[in-house]
Amino acid sequence: MAEKRVKYQNRIELLQGTLDLLILQTLQWGAQHGYGISVAIRNRSGEILQVDTGSLYPALHRLEKQKWIAAEWKVSENKQRAKYYRLTATGKKQLTRERSKWSQLSDAIAGVLQPGEK
Amino acid sequence: MSFWRRKKREGELDDEVRSHLEMAAKERANRGEATDEANRAARREFGNVGLVKEVTQDQWGWRWLEEFFSDLRFGARTLRKSSSFTAVAVLTLALGIGANTAIFSYVNAWMIKPLPYPRAERLMVFLSHDTKKGWTREGLTSTASFLDFQEQNTSFEQTALWTGWNFNLTGDGAPALVEGGQVSWNYFEALGVKPVLGRTFTPDEDQAGAGHVAILGQGLWQGRFAGDRNIIGRNITIDGEPYTVVGVMPGTFQFPLMGLANLWTPLALIDKARADRGSSSLTAFGRLRTGITPEQAGAESAAIFGRLEKQFPQTNANLTLLVGSMTDEIARKEGAPEVMICFCIVGLILLIACANVANLMLARATNRTKEFAVRGALGASGRRLARQLLTESMLLFFLGGIAGALFGLWGMHWIESEISGRVRGYLVNYGHVELDTTTLGFTLGMALLCGLVFGLAPAYENSRLNLNYTLKEASGQTSGSKRSARLRRIFVAAEIALAVLVLISTTLLVKSFLISARSSPGYNPANVMVAQLALPKTKYAEEPRQRNFSEDVLARIHALPQVVAVGVASSVPFGGFGQSVEVEAAEKPAPQPGERRGARFTAVSTDYFSAMQMGLVKGRLFDAADAQGGAPSAIINETLARHFWPNEDPIGHQVRFGQQHTVCTIVGVVRDIKMYDLRPRPERQMYVPLAQFPSATLGFVVRTAGNSTTMATAIRDTIWAVDRDQPISSVEPLETLMVVVDAGNRVLTELMVFFGLLAMFLGVIGIYGVMSDLVSQRTHEIGIRIALGASPPQVMGMVIGQGMKLALLGIVGGVLSALGATRPLATMLYQVTPNDPLTFIAVPIVFAVVVVAACYVPARRAMRVDPVVALRYE
Repeated sequence: MAEKRVKYQNRIELLQGTLDLLILQTLQWGAQHGYGISVAIRNRSGEILQVDTGSLYPALHRLEKQKWIAAEWKVSENKQRAKYYRLTATGKKQLTRERSKWSQLSDAIAGVLQPGEK
Repeated sequence: MSFWRRKKREGELDDEVRSHLEMAAKERANRGEATDEANRAARREFGNVGLVKEVTQDQWGWRWLEEFFSDLRFGARTLRKSSSFTAVAVLTLALGIGANTAIFSYVNAWMIKPLPYPRAERLMVFLSHDTKKGWTREGLTSTASFLDFQEQNTSFEQTALWTGWNFNLTGDGAPALVEGGQVSWNYFEALGVKPVLGRTFTPDEDQAGAGHVAILGQGLWQGRFAGDRNIIGRNITIDGEPYTVVGVMPGTFQFPLMGLANLWTPLALIDKARADRGSSSLTAFGRLRTGITPEQAGAESAAIFGRLEKQFPQTNANLTLLVGSMTDEIARKEGAPEVMICFCIVGLILLIACANVANLMLARATNRTKEFAVRGALGASGRRLARQLLTESMLLFFLGGIAGALFGLWGMHWIESEISGRVRGYLVNYGHVELDTTTLGFTLGMALLCGLVFGLAPAYENSRLNLNYTLKEASGQTSGSKRSARLRRIFVAAEIALAVLVLISTTLLVKSFLISARSSPGYNPANVMVAQLALPKTKYAEEPRQRNFSEDVLARIHALPQVVAVGVASSVPFGGFGQSVEVEAAEKPAPQPGERRGARFTAVSTDYFSAMQMGLVKGRLFDAADAQGGAPSAIINETLARHFWPNEDPIGHQVRFGQQHTVCTIVGVVRDIKMYDLRPRPERQMYVPLAQFPSATLGFVVRTAGNSTTMATAIRDTIWAVDRDQPISSVEPLETLMVVVDAGNRVLTELMVFFGLLAMFLGVIGIYGVMSDLVSQRTHEIGIRIALGASPPQVMGMVIGQGMKLALLGIVGGVLSALGATRPLATMLYQVTPNDPLTFIAVPIVFAVVVVAACYVPARRAMRVDPVVALRYE
């Protein structure tokens, strides 16, 4: 039993910063509910990134606590009631910050991986 | 995120998850899957709903508080389920904690709470100290020297004098003897107390010849004077003279050093009293100036008295005045040392009670290993389980604390009811204690702390199980861990050691009390009524009048039916009056100031000794020859005789005593008697004939043939037949007076008996519990032994032997620790040493016997084990 917990924690830790980035980016295209966000990420990443609910929902609630996203209960197109999240002003700023952090990180990794000067 | 909206948010999260599942299922259905299949697939894809919710809720924070509440709820449920365990544990804790609550309320009232005066820590008392002899006592040795000190000192902003006094009140009702004091004009000011009506004294009123003003206590004003609105300025008659009332003090005002007081007049010292350098009947206190420390004040006092010593070597040699805190002095006189001893003892009893409960919890933990193994297997972390167990034990101890507070409250009421009226005056707040916030806080805090400390062992045990092993074990054969069993044995041995220590200490104190109480007082107090009064000097200024009064009353009382004998003295044992004089052997040279010897001085009628049934040792008692005008005679007690004439017959020698250096011839020697202390203490006592030395204070002792309930009224009426306006103190049996004075010791002894028995009871319960459990757990083994041929006595011997080994360890430990620990009791013990061999042998033997009896029941159970059943029952 103890191992499964570690697995969850590991997954959250590895993806925590990145998952936040993905969520914020997804919400930039419009307010969305939790199911919709997970579907959007899956589709946009070509079925590679399958965020499981055990990471998604804690992340959403954490972001809401940080006031980067705000929540509202609305009725969806399918006449179902769902909790919609949208990006706040501070959330937009955080998104910009995360994007630049991600670029820096990816440039840094690329630099290491490059068949470079020996 | 606020904690309180948690419930609402939990509901919201449920909705959110549900909507996610619905949408996922809908989408699958749109793609063609069957509804059931779609639902199941959506659920599978989602994952563990409960776990996801939990992980999400973690983000909300405050999880620890929510877990704490759920632990509490769960703990309460489990406690209710095992109700017999809970009941026994709570009862045990109630006894242990309750005793602590009751004693702590006194520690709080007498030692922690400040005196009810403003800035009470600045109030100091003056104590007389002899630097050569080393004694210290309250009260001054020299009025004139203190008045000099008052003038010369710079450390005190106020110094005040006082002496206790009994006032004869006449008019406005039946004549009454009212207790109070004569005080210097600034007495109330120095204490910082304001009157509720009128004012306090002025300096003019404290001058010789002027002091005919009085201040009443609120009780006296509302009682005798019916709350007269015009009491200020009204004249009342004290000792036959008119006094004007100038003020009324509030009922809450109390000066414990003076005792009960309801009336105050100014000292108004006459010049002769002011100039008295050799003696004093006064006591003094003072309020320190701001910025001066007690040490500085003490140093200044030493310096001033050093100067006085040089100036007046005759009277002041080696004498000085010490400065001590009033709070400490009052605490000491109330019995703070005794309270601290009780506090230590109940602390030990609490440890014993906690050890018992810890053992119960460990035994119960053994029975719950399966439960915790399953919970661990389901995912609970060790820390979480431990936290839950600790919460449960703290809840249990908290309940014990509440029950203890109630039990302690009952104990406080009982103790207060045992303290009698007159003694209350000397106790802060009249000896009343309450379950205030400090005491309640102490009780519950103590309970929770013990719950935390003693809950650690079972919590640790059950949170670190080897899951595999425990789950595989056959049910009913829980082995418990070796560690747990050893811990329980250690607890039992420790609590037996503590119980032995407590029992030895309390037995010493009880023995000491019994010895002193049983010892003969030197007279026969049974069936003796005492009536005390003081003749006012206005009416009875001349000696013949005093003589006539006492002879008249004596004759009349003698004529009453049921009266066997009657006598009168200037003061009776355990009465309100008392006198001491300095006495020396006439033929020897006058002693140095520091060498002076005092003796209790009583003027007695000729029948007094026979009425009291006191024993004559040598010579004769007073008779008609010792009449007014005859040669002054005296009778001394054995201690006085031994002191001055250790190797010769004192009869015929002469003593010189008092201010006037009166000389008397010794005609007889009597046995020592107990005058003010139930503990026999060698005290010099001397008697003179009342006919030759009339006294204004009189105590009539009346020996009656039988029950004396109606005697009191008869005696009072007889005295009033002689003088209608003579106030009389209450007429009481002598035994009551003796009991009242010794109330403190008696209460202490009763408490000690209770604590000793409680400690033994708890210790025995502890060992019974452990042995009983041991037998249950080893039923299998015992069955095998019996099957292999062990006889029942052998099995019984095995069980009792195990119990005895444990108990022996505890008893030895207890005795060894008692050898050292009882030393502080030495000051309180009379004729019993702190290492009294009889006690140190008897207590362990009694304990061992009781332990054997406690082991007997489980041993018999072991004996009766049916090997067939035991072997089959896995």
